[in-house]
Amino acid sequence: MPGDNLLAVRAGEGDEEAFEQLVRAHGPVMLQLATRLLGSRTEAEDAVQDAFVSAWRKLPEFRRDAEFKTWIYRIVTNRCLNQLRARRPATDLDSVPEPAAPEHESSPARAAESHAAVRALAVAMAGLSPEQRACWVLREWHGMSYENIAETVGISLVAVRGRVFRARRYLTEAMSAWR
Amino acid sequence: MALNAHPDRPGPGNGVGGEGESDETGIETGAGTGTGTDIETDSELLPCGRELSVVWEAWDALESPPGAGALQVTAPDVAGWHVSDPHLVECPYCSAALADLASLSAAVERTRAVEPPGPAEVSDLTARVMDIVRLELRPGRPLPLGEPDDDLWIVEAAAARAFRAAAESLPGVRAGSCRVSPRERGPVHVRLEVAAGVHLNLPELAEEIRARVAESARDAIGIEVESIDVLVVDLFDGEEGDG
Repeated sequence: MPGDNLLAVRAGEGDEEAFEQLVRAHGPVMLQLATRLLGSRTEAEDAVQDAFVSAWRKLPEFRRDAEFKTWIYRIVTNRCLNQLRARRPATDLDSVPEPAAPEHESSPARAAESHAAVRALAVAMAGLSPEQRACWVLREWHGMSYENIAETVGISLVAVRGRVFRARRYLTEAMSAWR
Repeated sequence: MALNAHPDRPGPGNGVGGEGESDETGIETGAGTGTGTDIETDSELLPCGRELSVVWEAWDALESPPGAGALQVTAPDVAGWHVSDPHLVECPYCSAALADLASLSAAVERTRAVEPPGPAEVSDLTARVMDIVRLELRPGRPLPLGEPDDDLWIVEAAAARAFRAAAESLPGVRAGSCRVSPRERGPVHVRLEVAAGVHLNLPELAEEIRARVAESARDAIGIEVESIDVLVVDLFDGEEGDG
């Protein structure tokens, strides 16, 4: 797919319109990623904005053999990780935002059940360490391979496997309380 | 620096439950033995003797979540079991462990379904990013225009923009890098990289691109060009080159 990387090279040479196309193309997924990592839409918007601005500054050094998609995933993930690490260690569960009410469920009972599951997951995710959360979100929500996660987060494959496992271990246990 | 909010959660086995997260280096210290591997750290045997981590890794090998059908599992060479393993569905402990993951996945899917798709937020984001970017433009070097006596210049990024557009006026061409370098104060040298549709005759295409770029330099910009190098760096399928 020549598109992204040609655009990235052009943006690196100062073509801001090429960069705008990249922001439009990758902005939605990056917003989802940051929201899943930070648990807050507002914080996610700021993080993604900062990540793209930092990408613009770094693009002159963008390596042509790199994939833009992997590169921007890495910048957004690292920014969110730093933000998570800077938070107070004990997450205040009240700070987990209420998820939007499901709109597509056919019956009120199913909708309420769905809502409870969504809420329970959001609360449970807040209990993960930043590193577990990053690895698990990339694996479970973004379907990334363990190898790609290792590259994105900048840790070993063994460490990725350990973190995904511990995240699942923690989440399945936390979620079982709601079942 | 264990950030787990539930450090008191009873963790069966050794050090399971997130206590191992302690640094940013990616080295898992686990139960405190620097030599322990992650597999040992995360060791948790199900009553049937299987490693929970191995059972769960079978999940990653699945195309779709386990239903009633047999699991086709490609296991790592860890626990002495290989390829296809009916045990995973027959064993109550293994199937319960997989069911836990399945319900976690179901919660993820439900959340995904109510996540704000937010096209408006995305266009806000793009606008905000581009506002900042336009304060930090990288126009590149000034290139001389017109006669040697004229004090007239164009920045490299603007010339490159015109040349890329000229090349892309040909069907099946997408322009990438475009460098315009001055030879002292004389005519400039253009180096243009393109991706081209696979169906195109490349030598002919390169000539056409050169002609378009030369025309743009002469008529649209008014800059003297000494040479134009066209490099085909990629080929793609499709008519218009939408990557």
